Amino acid sequence: MTGSITFSAEGCLVGKKNKRATRSSWLRNFLAIDERVFFISLAQTPIGKLMMTAIAILGTAPYLGYWYSICAIFGAMFAVSCPKSRDLILFALTWLTAFFATALGNVDTLEHITILMNQEHIKTIPPVTLAIGFLAVFSILSSVLLSQVRRFPRSLISRHPLISLLIFEAILCGLGSINLISGLPRVVLWSVIFVLTPYIWFLPYAIQDQRTRNPSSHLFQMASLRPFWSPAYLPFGKGAIFLQKHLSKTDYDLAVTQLKGTKLIIWSNLLMFISNTLSWLLIGHKLLPSMTESIDAFLIGNPYSQSISWAAVILSTIKFSLLTAFWSGLFIGIARLAGYRLPRGCWRPLESRNLIEYFNRFHYYFKELLVDFFFIPTFFKVFREYPRLRMFFATFMAAGIGNGLWHFLRDIELVATQGPINAINSFSSYLFYCIILATSVGISQVRVMMGIRPSSSILGRIYSFVFVWIFVACMHIFSDGSRNHSLGERLLFLGSLFGVS
Amino acid sequence: MEESTKKKLREFLVTKLNEFTDYGPLFDDESIFMSGRLDSFSMMNVVMHLEKIYGIDFSKIDFDVSLLDTVNDIEKLIDSSE
Repeated sequence: MTGSITFSAEGCLVGKKNKRATRSSWLRNFLAIDERVFFISLAQTPIGKLMMTAIAILGTAPYLGYWYSICAIFGAMFAVSCPKSRDLILFALTWLTAFFATALGNVDTLEHITILMNQEHIKTIPPVTLAIGFLAVFSILSSVLLSQVRRFPRSLISRHPLISLLIFEAILCGLGSINLISGLPRVVLWSVIFVLTPYIWFLPYAIQDQRTRNPSSHLFQMASLRPFWSPAYLPFGKGAIFLQKHLSKTDYDLAVTQLKGTKLIIWSNLLMFISNTLSWLLIGHKLLPSMTESIDAFLIGNPYSQSISWAAVILSTIKFSLLTAFWSGLFIGIARLAGYRLPRGCWRPLESRNLIEYFNRFHYYFKELLVDFFFIPTFFKVFREYPRLRMFFATFMAAGIGNGLWHFLRDIELVATQGPINAINSFSSYLFYCIILATSVGISQVRVMMGIRPSSSILGRIYSFVFVWIFVACMHIFSDGSRNHSLGERLLFLGSLFGVS
Repeated sequence: MEESTKKKLREFLVTKLNEFTDYGPLFDDESIFMSGRLDSFSMMNVVMHLEKIYGIDFSKIDFDVSLLDTVNDIEKLIDSSE
């Protein structure tokens, strides 16, 4: 009797499990159009390509602008259809879109130059002339630099590209911040900095690639400097060598890659839809305050209840996470249409079982940048006799120092407009976030190294999920990107969430 | 490099790939890191393994990823350090 009860209970459980698995695999199968022969064949036909082009343009235009999307998507599709001229097409696309986006004011460089010109009361030169002019100069100089790196592999910039560029940027920023320079010379100097800054994170990959045994073509190296699919500060797709390794080799592979790219663009739109719907439902209908409103209310002595404040923080964390996943999906989607089967930028972060896994999954290309240029150089140089300390310190350099530097340089215009002291002061909250994140990720990394892994049981997974995401939400209070509140104010607000006044 | 040493190296790399839920075959000339099969953090685990087992001093090597990218590359690196 007992046996039969046990049997039926187990059967029921198994049945439920199977049902869930079946439902999940049904959904997975339904979405796996890139594995179905019909769709793969269709993607190789002109109609299929036209359909993917139309979907991609519709999926990217609302965020990148129509002319940019049309150029990028048509260009990507054109590049894959002319493999012999691929490098030339990609080069032309990257630099034409960069120049047009600058001329049309679609990039922040022009905006920053305009603000500074107004601050310095300069009206003699249109800001666009400076932006375009320095972009042209930069493109020529970076081309010369890349060709020289191969000739002088032992030079400082060849061996330590990022450090050299950061020192160069620091010198320029220092010059731009002293009182001796003002008016037009100051605007000119800062214009150089604004144009150079985004490329600081792309050039080291190109220089590194130049030093490998089989470097890519010069044209392709230049095409990979802030490529047209990601006009951002972060190298989505890393450098030329990484891109070449992920290039689809056959028509079949290309069709699968392009289908994956189209799917990713649709998925990104879905994420943006969820984010907008949450904002509209909860903030738009005044059901919840934004996190900033919640901190403001706390600071003026009229706080929302603890649960409302928590909900505001969680909602802000969700929206930030969705936005990060959205942009990386959009950029990688376009790169896939150009034939590069790149790994996704954000891969199932909710499944992270510890902080190091979260760091790996949430923002893959950011993590790779930090690992390539901060973690690895540190790892090779320090504490070789102490493996755990070595791992911790290298992780700290990546998640703390690298992370902080990248975010500080992303807002470099604040150094020009507010002065270096104010810019650093308003950055203190993010700096605090970097230190806590780096320490926590470092500890997590060492724990994994020691073989301590989270339990795979359901309870263990729930615990991991809650731990990771509460940590992320709490840290989001300091890393939301706004500079409206000081570190002290944010710490007090965090305390209030836990009932500490 | 002896065949047994190469076998051990392959076993180590396959274990790392399995940790990444990558159960595909690993060929000797197949890219491991530049292709994204293993990420940069895992590369450091491989580095530590090579330091520990084969005594390679990476601080004296002008390192780039292509030195470790395939089983054959790692084999060459080990041979050259001996």
